[in-house]
Amino acid sequence: MNQQRKYVLEMLAEGQVTPEEAERLITALERDQPSVAADSEVGPKGKARYLHVVVDSTEDDKPSRVNVRVPLQLLRAGVRLAALIPPQALAHANAELNRSGIPFDLTQLKPDQLQALTEQLEELTVEVDEPDTTVRIFCE
Amino acid sequence: MMPQLLTVRVTRPHGRSVRIWVPVIPIVLLLAPLLILAAAAAAVACLMCRVRVGLAFGNGWRLFCALPGTRIDIREGPTTVLVSIR
Repeated sequence: MNQQRKYVLEMLAEGQVTPEEAERLITALERDQPSVAADSEVGPKGKARYLHVVVDSTEDDKPSRVNVRVPLQLLRAGVRLAALIPPQALAHANAELNRSGIPFDLTQLKPDQLQALTEQLEELTVEVDEPDTTVRIFCE
Repeated sequence: MMPQLLTVRVTRPHGRSVRIWVPVIPIVLLLAPLLILAAAAAAVACLMCRVRVGLAFGNGWRLFCALPGTRIDIREGPTTVLVSIR
């Protein structure tokens, strides 16, 4: 259900609008729908398919470069697989993270959140510049 | 679509290079008996850990099928290693 329609139904449930007004609002939203769909059709053309990690470094005047390209689909599949990790394994991982000074509770990470995270990766660009090393993470 | 071809290319100094093409499907067929054993062991492990076997295999298969397009390129001085999955 789209967010605007949900909002209209919530207003109806709270008695802020009459059923007739809610119907009119929903009809108006449906009328606007084709333009939204047309906009979203433009998106996938430029949709990122790969996550790139590029590390350039120089050690002892020797340049080195690591270039890794991973399909975003692989990340999504990995996230789905990670959702199957049994709770006892997550508890062990949490204990180890705590011991390393990272108080992070992996059991609070839900598959939906991870899925949303991978969706948003398409917008991600990370650049780290150090005198001898440059790291770039981006999607294209 | 499942991966079809794994390519490994290693270029050493003085221009010597080794290129290996590994066709995935024939290799999978060749290793099928071992893979069946591994699948059985994985199913037992899933049951012991109370993980749904069907879901685990389905997601594992999806992960395998998502591999095409992966490319790892490492260059250090004149030495380069390229691993590509198509």
